[in-house]
Amino acid sequence: MDSSTIEKIIKEIGNIAPAHEGEHVGRVVAVGDGVVAIDGLSKAVMSEVLIFEEGKGKKLAGAMEDQAELLGLVLNLEEDGVRATILGDTSRVSEGMTVKSTGKILSVPSSEEFLGRVVNALGEPIDGKGPFKKTTLMPIERQAAGVIDRKSVSVPLATGTKAIDAMIPIGRGQRELIIGDRGTGKTTVAIDAIINQKYEPEETRPICIYVAIGQKESKTARISQQLREQGAMEYTIIVDAPASAPAALQYLAPFAGVAIGEYFMDKGRDVLIVYDDLSKQAVAYRQLSLLLRRPPGREAYPGDVFYLHSRLLERACRLSEEKGGGSITALPIIETQEGDVSGYIPTNVISITDGQMFLVTDLFNKGIKPAIDVGISVSRVGSAAQTKAMKGVAGGIKLELAQFRELEAFMQFASDLDKATADRIESGRRMVEVLKQKNGAPIPLEKQVAALYAAGKAFFINAPVNKVTEVEKQYIDFLDGQYSKTLAAIKKTGQLSDDTKAELNKAMEEFKLAHAELFSVGK
Amino acid sequence: METAYAQALWKMVEGGMTPSKAVHALHGVLKANGREVLLPRIAKAFARIAERETKRTDVVLTVAREKDERYAHKEVKEILAGMGVETKDLKTEVDDTLIGGWRLEGRERLVDASYKNQLLELFNRATA
Repeated sequence: MDSSTIEKIIKEIGNIAPAHEGEHVGRVVAVGDGVVAIDGLSKAVMSEVLIFEEGKGKKLAGAMEDQAELLGLVLNLEEDGVRATILGDTSRVSEGMTVKSTGKILSVPSSEEFLGRVVNALGEPIDGKGPFKKTTLMPIERQAAGVIDRKSVSVPLATGTKAIDAMIPIGRGQRELIIGDRGTGKTTVAIDAIINQKYEPEETRPICIYVAIGQKESKTARISQQLREQGAMEYTIIVDAPASAPAALQYLAPFAGVAIGEYFMDKGRDVLIVYDDLSKQAVAYRQLSLLLRRPPGREAYPGDVFYLHSRLLERACRLSEEKGGGSITALPIIETQEGDVSGYIPTNVISITDGQMFLVTDLFNKGIKPAIDVGISVSRVGSAAQTKAMKGVAGGIKLELAQFRELEAFMQFASDLDKATADRIESGRRMVEVLKQKNGAPIPLEKQVAALYAAGKAFFINAPVNKVTEVEKQYIDFLDGQYSKTLAAIKKTGQLSDDTKAELNKAMEEFKLAHAELFSVGK
Repeated sequence: METAYAQALWKMVEGGMTPSKAVHALHGVLKANGREVLLPRIAKAFARIAERETKRTDVVLTVAREKDERYAHKEVKEILAGMGVETKDLKTEVDDTLIGGWRLEGRERLVDASYKNQLLELFNRATA
């Protein structure tokens, strides 16, 4: 034993006073499926942390070998006792076990050390990189900032996805729902938004938190790997409550994520948090509520399932300058069944958030990725945060696409089309191609502006539809090489001045001359 | 259902009603609602509540060795007075895993002055 340990032990012996202070306790009367009924604990409060006493009747050596303390969380206060959920392995709890009250509300640790790490719903590291040294405890449940403490959303949060940044812009402090059936690319959109933050200057770059709820561990591992490879993990924290975790941890994970985020927001930092996904959290909460014998309501969800999500998402906000000016932007994800957005949980979350982007299976199957249906997607506050440059080039896209969709349906029945209609269809087809994007390849704002400006100027009209993506890529590469100052000016000012427009017009002409073979249509 | 009836019965008796009057009142209600068939189950639920209540009011003093009993009784006298329990109502148990000292548990309170507990706390702090 080294000298520091010996010193520590001697100091600790000195600190021990005769233990005559009583503890408030109860006794386990029933246990099952992660929920325990406890007799006593009449002074317990909601969301209080409990400690299960496992060492009773065990020899000292056995008690010392026990794993970490087994915790519980009070969820029901009843006449004769309390019902609590076990935050760990249920098999460690037995009938008659003594349960100690701690008088503490459940909190998770948070600090800068969390960046680049994977933690569970209790904030404990699960990536094998060792414990955290210095942390601050943040309460899992906290009242959201009030009206006076808030500021309106006015700073853009670039997602790197053209369709979103142009037509459904998101601002820092906004809550934008990502909704769609399984396999439509919801997670991809969110992960791209995280990756895109690497293009932000370090001082204004948001801290990103990805909360995986009820996901396969393999999926979370893949996302972690992708973020690491893209260099995005250094400003990202993953909170993981996999499908194999108890329902209680799946229910708590989003709250743990936002509590960790609030640590950074309170320090004036911007935070982007992705909840993937809240449908699974609602299912976990339903399971817990039924086991807690709370009365079931619609689809067997408890009556307070709306409050579950509203109190979580209300914590996303932009604080006033007096409060440090930090923000939390939330991207909750909801999975629909067969495209039905009128389900209980989808309608709840749609009504809570500041907008939603619908991802549609049909578009996905047609190869339009991201498969965002811009017709029914909306951002209620983000346009106030859109940069002038993007506003300038994105103005007519939504209308053009809407007209194209209408004509596209009509086109299937009519063979002879007048020139104006045919032109509109051709332009729409190319616009759809321009908005297509690969997975994990977010595009910086200035390049998006340049591409959309070109699309607006009918730059792609002479390119074959199936070559538009390639032409766009080559054009952006050309701008990167020859017109990097123009791109830098857009990035710096966030505006599209007349000079910049003239530069872009010149660039388009030059590119067309240099690559005439790419513009073969109509010649 | 039967638990709710048993709880009502318990409350009536605790409230000062005589047991026979309480049982007759309950029987009357059950008969009026056509639920007399529940009576045997109510009796079982009532027994469970009674057992639970007894456990709740029990206060147990655990010592490591029988010979520690007198010393432990002296030590807990003040605590018991605070809890409103008389020494004669105290149940005593022996648990040699405590190593030494004593442990008092009951009425939602736990005072653990056992050597085992102190050593465990020491171990947990030293290895934290």
